[in-house]
Amino acid sequence: MSRVVARTRAILLVGAAYYLGARLGLSLSLVSHNVTPLWPPTGIAVAAFVVFGRSSWPGVAIAALAINLPINAGPFAAAVTAAGNTLAPLLAATLLQRVGFRRQLDRQRDAMAIVFLAALASMLVSAAVGTTALVLSGVVPSGDLFSAAAVWWTGDAMGVLAVAPFLLSLALFRDGPAWPATRWLEGAAILVVTATVVSLGSFTRLPLLFLTLPVLGWAAWRLQLRGAAPAALLASVVATWAAAHERGPFAGHSLVENMAILQAFNACVALTSFFLAALVSERMRAARALQVAAIELEERVAQRTSELTDANTRLVSEIRGRTDAQLQLSQEEARTQRKHQIAETLQRSLLPERIPEIPRLTIATRYVPATTDVQVGGDWYDVVQLPGGHVGLAIGDVAGHGLQAAATMAQVRMAVRAYALQNPAPVSVMTGVHRLVAHLGLPEMVTAIYLLYDPATQRLRYTNAGHPPALLVSDHDAYFLGGALSVPLGVTGDPGFTEAETVLPLGATLLLYTDGLVERRRTSLRAGLERLRVSALAESPDDVEVLCDRVLATLLDSDEVADDIALLALRPLALAGELMTLRLPAEARVLVDVRQAMRRWLQAEGVPSGAEDEILVACGEACANVVQHAYPAAAGDLEVSARRTEGVIEVTVRDHGQWRPEADRGGGWGLKLMSSLMESVQVERTAYGTVVRMRHTAGSRRAR
Amino acid sequence: MIPLATVSARDIAGARVVQVAGEVDLSNAADLLTLIGAEIAHDAHLVLLDLSRAAYLDSTAVAMIFRLAERLRTRRQELRLVVPLESPVRAVLELTNVPRVIPLSETVQAASPS
Repeated sequence: MSRVVARTRAILLVGAAYYLGARLGLSLSLVSHNVTPLWPPTGIAVAAFVVFGRSSWPGVAIAALAINLPINAGPFAAAVTAAGNTLAPLLAATLLQRVGFRRQLDRQRDAMAIVFLAALASMLVSAAVGTTALVLSGVVPSGDLFSAAAVWWTGDAMGVLAVAPFLLSLALFRDGPAWPATRWLEGAAILVVTATVVSLGSFTRLPLLFLTLPVLGWAAWRLQLRGAAPAALLASVVATWAAAHERGPFAGHSLVENMAILQAFNACVALTSFFLAALVSERMRAARALQVAAIELEERVAQRTSELTDANTRLVSEIRGRTDAQLQLSQEEARTQRKHQIAETLQRSLLPERIPEIPRLTIATRYVPATTDVQVGGDWYDVVQLPGGHVGLAIGDVAGHGLQAAATMAQVRMAVRAYALQNPAPVSVMTGVHRLVAHLGLPEMVTAIYLLYDPATQRLRYTNAGHPPALLVSDHDAYFLGGALSVPLGVTGDPGFTEAETVLPLGATLLLYTDGLVERRRTSLRAGLERLRVSALAESPDDVEVLCDRVLATLLDSDEVADDIALLALRPLALAGELMTLRLPAEARVLVDVRQAMRRWLQAEGVPSGAEDEILVACGEACANVVQHAYPAAAGDLEVSARRTEGVIEVTVRDHGQWRPEADRGGGWGLKLMSSLMESVQVERTAYGTVVRMRHTAGSRRAR
Repeated sequence: MIPLATVSARDIAGARVVQVAGEVDLSNAADLLTLIGAEIAHDAHLVLLDLSRAAYLDSTAVAMIFRLAERLRTRRQELRLVVPLESPVRAVLELTNVPRVIPLSETVQAASPS
């Protein structure tokens, strides 16, 4: 409903305005009621269609009819003229809409559009229709058709050019940015100056109408359309009025001349004001846009800068955090590594530093720490050289891990060592250790096997306190030493240790181990033991080191080692008929080892004890010479070899150092003893060392 | 490791008996000389070095015995050796002419003054 009301109101408003505009236009006609150089209603109609929409056309049509009826030759001509007057603005509005006209008129293309499309092009319609009606109704002779049409056309076009922008500028006062008081003042001043200048130009004989143009320029420059359009309208109306009344410059000219002058002036006024206003608007808009862009850019830069600063801050804190984390991680790593190192060092220091090199006995040991635990385990083994060439062997396990277990293990190992040196008999040693363990009140379970081996007789005596049995592997058989088994150490008051005895023949292997080797989840201990037995029997290589590696490889089927494993393999080497060779560091402490090895070899070869003593002394002297003199500056090796060829024992002592002249060497007793005790002594000195070759006819004592 | 050789001492009528048991070689001769020296008081007139339980002597041991004898002689103390006939060390001592410098007996009793 309200839309209908609004439309009706718009139609009435437009119709009234059109009518008033037409009355004004008629008052400006050069020839009474006929030729009007400025026809305001068309401008009013165009502005109305642009602002209110083309739906208000009935107002224009009715008003046009109302105007034309009294001045036209008949109702038909009036209706045709009115139709032309309505169609022309409608066409103008349609074209303007088509080209995207902005009623702010603030672009050059808008100025172009209103000049060429709305004014010049569209008004051809009303001019054509109107003059045709005039000719048809006989008011104008057909010969004057074109001049009449031209007058009509210019009048309508000027109406559009002078009035439509003005009306559109009025809308800007409502829609555009509000003017401060100074602007209003300036606008008023412009109107006053325009009125003064145009009046001066129009009502005096001085040809000063052109002065209007700078004023319009000022208006367009300072106030754009809102200043220029009213001033332009004022100038046009005043000039047209002057022309209509043949005042000033318009006096004394023909109608056509006046028409030409006036229309040229009006066109200049319109074009100057609109184009200039549009240009300035455009420029200002561009400047504003630039300023906005600059501000936006500044804001963006500021925002981006702050974003960057934030990002930077975040990055810095992140880096710091990471550095901290890294530091913490590496500290943690270092701690873990240190713990591991401590555990390893402890383990190494708790196990024998080195297994003694016992001539004619080969021993291999392995310690495999659990992969799942960095802590040191409680598995241990030991080999002790005892008086009389005997060898004490022990292996044991302190349940649990960590420092406590390791400390217990160290105590037990040292106790075995001490008791073995005091009295090497198995029961004696084990009883002593048992008392110690019971006395210490250790919470862990402690198991151990102690064995005493006499290489000379190959007797192996042993006792077992709750430990997995030792395995004896010979060429064709492998069996566990299951005897003399008692409860673990320190469990009961008197475990009643017993002793069992067997023979470890030359070439056979004794295998000691801890439960980690044979215990597997989901597998019985019996099955584990059997696996070990079969594997050791299958792998019986010449080298016990290889044996250890193969047994471990076979029984540890994955890289995971659940529990620590200690493994010790001992094999007495077959002696008889064999070449004996020793290679030891040239140090005084090894002399006793050489003697023991030599003594056992000589006994195995069946050399009589008297000859044995003599050979031992001679060999000892040769070795002592090497120890004392061969390597004055650095460490070196001492090599001893011996062999029997039929009844003759040949001993060779070799070094890779240098002998000094005989006079320097401890009184010469050594060489004298060697010569006296042996059948022959040859000393061969080369750049690469010295070789002493000695022969002894073992079967008989040498005559002295 | 157990020591290669041990030193023990006792007094009998008119003599100090120092027994060396075990093996003496380059590795322990010097230490043994110190140990033996520590067992001999300055007032002992006669010292018997009992080698009846010595299993092995080499030329360094012989040199040590000569040095001991020399040291005691400067203190007007006499040194005698006790070496059983069947001792494995007897050959070494004889071959190095020890008996010509230091009296050698087969038993402690034989070496004793009375």
